[in-house]
Amino acid sequence: MGPWARMLWTLLSGLRGRRGGIQGWAFGLWPPYLPQPRLLSPTELVSHWTRVFEKRGIPEARESSEYIVAHVLGAKTFQSLQPVLWTQPLTPQQLQCVQELCSCRLQRMPVQYILGEWDFQGLSLKMAPPVFIPRPETEELVEWVLEEMAQRPHVMEAQDGPRILEVGCGSGAISLSLLTQLPKSQVIAVDKEEAAISLTCENAQRLQLQDRIWIVPLDVTSEGSWMHLLPWGPMDLVVSNPPYIFHQDIEQLAPEICSYEDPVALDGGEEGMDVITSILTLAPQLLKHSGSIFLEVDPRHPELVSSWLQSQPDLHLNLVAVRRDFCGKPRFLHVQKSGP
Amino acid sequence: MNRHLYVWLFRHPSLNVHPWCHSYVHSYQFKQLHLKTRLCVLGQNDNYILHYILSNWSRKYCHRDTRMIWKHKTFQKYMEDLTKEYQTLGQSLQEIPVDEADRRDMTQRHAELAPLAAIYQEIQKAEQAVEELESMCKSLNEQEEKQLQELALEERDTIDQKINTLYGELYESLLPKEKYDKNDVILEVTSGRTTGGDICQQFTREIFDMYQNYSCYKHWKFELLNYTPADYGGLHHAAARISGENVYKHLKYEGGIHRVQRIPEVGLSSRMQRIHTGTMSVIVLPQPDEVDVKVDHRDLRIDTFRAKGAGGQHVNTTDSAVRLVHIPTGLVVECQQERSQLKNKEIALRVLRARLYQQIIQKDQCQQQSARKLQVGTRAQSERIRTYNFTQDRVTDHRIAYEVRDIKEFLCGKKCLDQLIQRLLQSANKEAIVELLDENLNLKIQSSVFGRHELKHI
Repeated sequence: MGPWARMLWTLLSGLRGRRGGIQGWAFGLWPPYLPQPRLLSPTELVSHWTRVFEKRGIPEARESSEYIVAHVLGAKTFQSLQPVLWTQPLTPQQLQCVQELCSCRLQRMPVQYILGEWDFQGLSLKMAPPVFIPRPETEELVEWVLEEMAQRPHVMEAQDGPRILEVGCGSGAISLSLLTQLPKSQVIAVDKEEAAISLTCENAQRLQLQDRIWIVPLDVTSEGSWMHLLPWGPMDLVVSNPPYIFHQDIEQLAPEICSYEDPVALDGGEEGMDVITSILTLAPQLLKHSGSIFLEVDPRHPELVSSWLQSQPDLHLNLVAVRRDFCGKPRFLHVQKSGP
Repeated sequence: MNRHLYVWLFRHPSLNVHPWCHSYVHSYQFKQLHLKTRLCVLGQNDNYILHYILSNWSRKYCHRDTRMIWKHKTFQKYMEDLTKEYQTLGQSLQEIPVDEADRRDMTQRHAELAPLAAIYQEIQKAEQAVEELESMCKSLNEQEEKQLQELALEERDTIDQKINTLYGELYESLLPKEKYDKNDVILEVTSGRTTGGDICQQFTREIFDMYQNYSCYKHWKFELLNYTPADYGGLHHAAARISGENVYKHLKYEGGIHRVQRIPEVGLSSRMQRIHTGTMSVIVLPQPDEVDVKVDHRDLRIDTFRAKGAGGQHVNTTDSAVRLVHIPTGLVVECQQERSQLKNKEIALRVLRARLYQQIIQKDQCQQQSARKLQVGTRAQSERIRTYNFTQDRVTDHRIAYEVRDIKEFLCGKKCLDQLIQRLLQSANKEAIVELLDENLNLKIQSSVFGRHELKHI
C-alpha cells in the first residue's frame, strides 16, 4: 500500500499544481468573465458562459457551454443531464473545472478535443489533437456501407465474415463502428500518422474490439504501398474518408480546424483528389471480384472521379452510385470492381 | 341522465331515496308510455327488455357495487348460454360427423370457451358451498353451537374471496385482450398555458417526477427523451420512454388533463392566500414495434442545424440536434439528447413512430363508438380526469369518483398511485363487461323482433 499511496499522492499533487497554473493564467487574462464567487447552478453557468463566448465571437456559444458543463457533471449532453441537477449548485472543484475547459474554448479549441471524447454511431471515442475529428456526415457513410452489406448475405455469412480495409482511420471511428455492427467482420485500418495509429489502437482497446482489427502504419500515396497489405488477403470492401479539401480552400477553414486538426487529414491537393486517386489505384490489387469501394468526398468530386475513372480503364472500376448527405450534397461514392 | 333509470326507480319505490331523482319523477309517465310501446312490440319478450334496462342501469353504478354485475341475471344468463354452447359443441364434435372447415371452426370455438366454462363451473361450485354454509348457519341457533357457527362464517369468507379472484379471472378471459397493453410507452407532459402559469409549471414537474418514481416502483426503465424546464424550477414540457412489463396497460388511463388547485408559494396571491387553479396534460403513447408503423423516408424532412456551407471536412460543428417533420401529417419531433446526430435522428424517429401509431389507434377507437367512460383516445386525451387539491390535501379521480387523502404520498408515485391505477383497471374491465352484455342483448332483441315479423308474414 505504502509506495502506491505515495505514487498516487505525487500524481494528484502534480495535477493540482498544473491546474493552479492554468487557473492563474486564466485569471490574468479574463478577470471580467469569471463567475461570481457564489455557487452557480448548471443552468446559470451555461448562460454565463454563453454570454462570454458570444462576446468573444466563439461559434456555437450555447452548445459549447452546454457540452462543457454537462461533461463536468458527468453527462454527455445538457439535455440528458438529470433534471434534478439543473438547479443544484456546482461544487467549487466542478466550477473550476468548467472554468479551465471554457478557457480552452476561448482559444478556439474544438469542443471534442476539450472534452477528450466524442460520439460516433453510438460509440464514445477518445479524441486527441491533432487527430481528425469525425464529422456527422461520416456516420451516414457507415450507414450506407451497412445497408449494402445487409444485401450481400453470401459475404455476411461466409466463414470468416467480411474483410474490410479502411484507409486513413484517424480516431478509428469508421472501422470500430463497422466492427461493432458486423460481428463477424475483420478490419485492416491504415494511416500514415503515428498519432492516428495510436489513437485508433486505444479506442479499439477501450471498446474491446482489438481482436478483430489490425492497425498498420502505411502511406497509401507512396509507390507500391499496396504490396504491404497483400498478406491480409483479398478484401470485400475498401472504405475511406480521405482528405478531400481543395488545397486553396484550406486557408479559409475556421480556426478550430486549421489550428488544431492535422492538415494531412484534410488537404487533398490541388483538386482534392490526391489521396482519392491513390486509393482507387491500389484498391483493384486488393479487392475480391466485384468488391466495393465506399468514399466520402467533396460535392465537386463525383464528376471528377467519374471522368478520372473513364481515363483509367485498366483499373476495371465503375462508379455505380452517388449518395447525398443530410444537407442534400452529393457526398458519398460507391465504386465497384468489375474485372478480374 | 338515463331514461331507463327513472323507470327502474319507479318500479322499485323502496329504493326511491336518491335526492336528485325528484326532479325527474315528472317524466316517468312518458317513459312508461315509451316502455309500454316497446312491450307491445315485443310481447312475451319483455324479459329481455328488463335485462336491457338493468344492464344499462348497472353501467352507471358498476363502480359502486363490485358484485352488481355478476349477481346480475343478464350476466348469469350470458354465462349459462356460453356454457351450454360449450357443451353442445363438445358433444357434436364427438358424435356428429361434419366437414373439415366446419370442424376446424367448431374446434377453435370449443377451445376458446373451455377456460371460461371451467372457471364458471368452479364459481358455481363455490357459490353452492356458500349457500350450504349459510343454510347451515341458519339452522344453528343454539348457544352451544356458536363456535361452529363462527367457523362456518370464517369458511364462508375464504370462499367469498376465492369467488372474487375467480371472477377477476373470468373477466380477464371474457374480454378481448387489449391490443397494445404489452407495449412500452412514450409519456409526454405539457404544462397548461391559461391561468396561473407558475403553478402549472411547478405542477407539471411534480407530475413528471411522480411518473418517474412510479416507473422505479414498478421496476420499469425510464429514459428521458426531452426536457424543457421553466424558470423557478418548473417544467414546460418533457417526454420519456418507459419500457417494461405491461407498461401501456397501467399507464393508458393516465392520459388527459390533470388539474391543480393550490395557493402559489410566491407573489401576491401567496400573501393573500388566494387559491389558483391550473392544468397540465399527460399524453401516453404506446410505443409501436418496427413492423406496426412504417415511415416512408420520402415523407420526412430532416432539419439539422448545419445545413449551410460546404459541410463535410470543411466544418466542425457540435450541434447534433435533429428536427423531424413528417410532411403528410405535419407532426414535428425534436431531439438533442445525444452527441451523435444519427442517434438523435433514431430517437426522433422512434417518437414520431409512436405518435403516428397513436393516430392509428385513435382511428380504430373512433370507429368502435364505445360509450365507455374509461376510454383511451381523442376524447380522453382532452378530458379532465383528475384534480389535485392542495388546500384540501385531496386527489380526486373524476371518472370513478375515487378520492385519496394524502397528496404528498400520492405524488411519490408509489402505493397510492398504484392503488388508483388498479381501481381504474377494474372499473374499465367492468365497463367492458357491461358493454359486452349490452351488445349481446341488442343482438338478441334484434333477432327476436326480426323473428316475430317473419312469423307474421307467414
